[in-house]
Amino acid sequence: MADILFVVDEQNATVTDRVFKMVENVIHMDHGSVALVFLIGVIFGGIIQYTRVDKFEKIAGFAMLKDTIIPKMLFLTVGLTSIGLYFMIQAGWAHYHVKPIILQGLLIGGTLFGISMAILGKCPGTGPVSIAEGRIDVLVGAIGGLFGGLVFTLYYDDFFKPLMGESMGESILTDFFKGNEDLTVLIFGVVVTLIAIAIPKLELYDEADLSKLPEDQRPDRKQ
Amino acid sequence: MANRLPWWVGGILMSGLLLLTFSIYGADRPIGASTYVPYAAALIFDLDPEKYSYIEHIKDAGSWEGVMLLGVLFGGFITSVFITKSFRISLIPSAWKTYKNKSVLSRLLWSFFAGFIMIIGARLAGGCTSGHFMSGMSQMAISSMIFGTVVMISLLVTGKYFYNTKGDK
Repeated sequence: MADILFVVDEQNATVTDRVFKMVENVIHMDHGSVALVFLIGVIFGGIIQYTRVDKFEKIAGFAMLKDTIIPKMLFLTVGLTSIGLYFMIQAGWAHYHVKPIILQGLLIGGTLFGISMAILGKCPGTGPVSIAEGRIDVLVGAIGGLFGGLVFTLYYDDFFKPLMGESMGESILTDFFKGNEDLTVLIFGVVVTLIAIAIPKLELYDEADLSKLPEDQRPDRKQ
Repeated sequence: MANRLPWWVGGILMSGLLLLTFSIYGADRPIGASTYVPYAAALIFDLDPEKYSYIEHIKDAGSWEGVMLLGVLFGGFITSVFITKSFRISLIPSAWKTYKNKSVLSRLLWSFFAGFIMIIGARLAGGCTSGHFMSGMSQMAISSMIFGTVVMISLLVTGKYFYNTKGDK
């Protein structure tokens, strides 16, 4: 069979074999080539690193309300993307991929996620960037995460799935404004973008940031 | 070269990347970044997909995000070394020293604990900051708006009580 690139012996498969299997899965899926998916990752990591939003001072700093770069950038991204994506879907260039409303899962999961994001100062997208730039504490967090993923997988059927509850469907905002979809999207996109601009800009600097600023712009020298 | 991009440049670039990923000429799917973790756990601990239904359930999303993750690590490393020159080995963030404590052990234990519940939380909710907040809210998904609201409240309450921010300017 020509389309099987790697023959994996399931009984004696090593971690490397299973990584090849992962790449093979992506080859057989219709969600972009392996090179494109890798490139999306490179750009994603590059944007996060170059804006420095993976820093502990940014995410934990927002939890302490001392830094607002994260919500400003997140809301701007959502505002712009919501309008662009709507046009792309209308033109047939993209599809919706909406996650279901599984209420208990969202409430319990969101609460745990918020607590851990404040403590670790990372999320699953920014964490790998921090590891790539040498942060050992985040690597320890990722190992904790691997065990979290292991426990979730092991007890999914018996414990976590019943805990999440039933899906209440996959509705989106425009479902509630039938006939006025265009206007709803426009208002949503513009309001979210304006929120991003309106959030007061606060920044929590650390010594490494401060040392790179010109002397007259250092907030710690102004007192 | 500036050592960091302003937030609005980052937002515009991230929006462009999301649209490329959503587009049928790109990947025709949203960006997500938490399904790869249980996928990686199954890969490392060699869990049997026939025994654990969750592995079969996340096979596609997990492998897609796994390949993307390799790109994220590469992109983050290259940018930190060559562009922002911020690569350095460190054990404890400076704001942790200011607002929590100076103990490396405390930071590492809390990191492990937070990482553990972060993935359980993300998988219970079916997404994280990338999948729910960015990709989901961009589709105006009600589930993602619920997630975003709960996370914001929980994040701010934890930030207020976990760190010692009183008595500081």
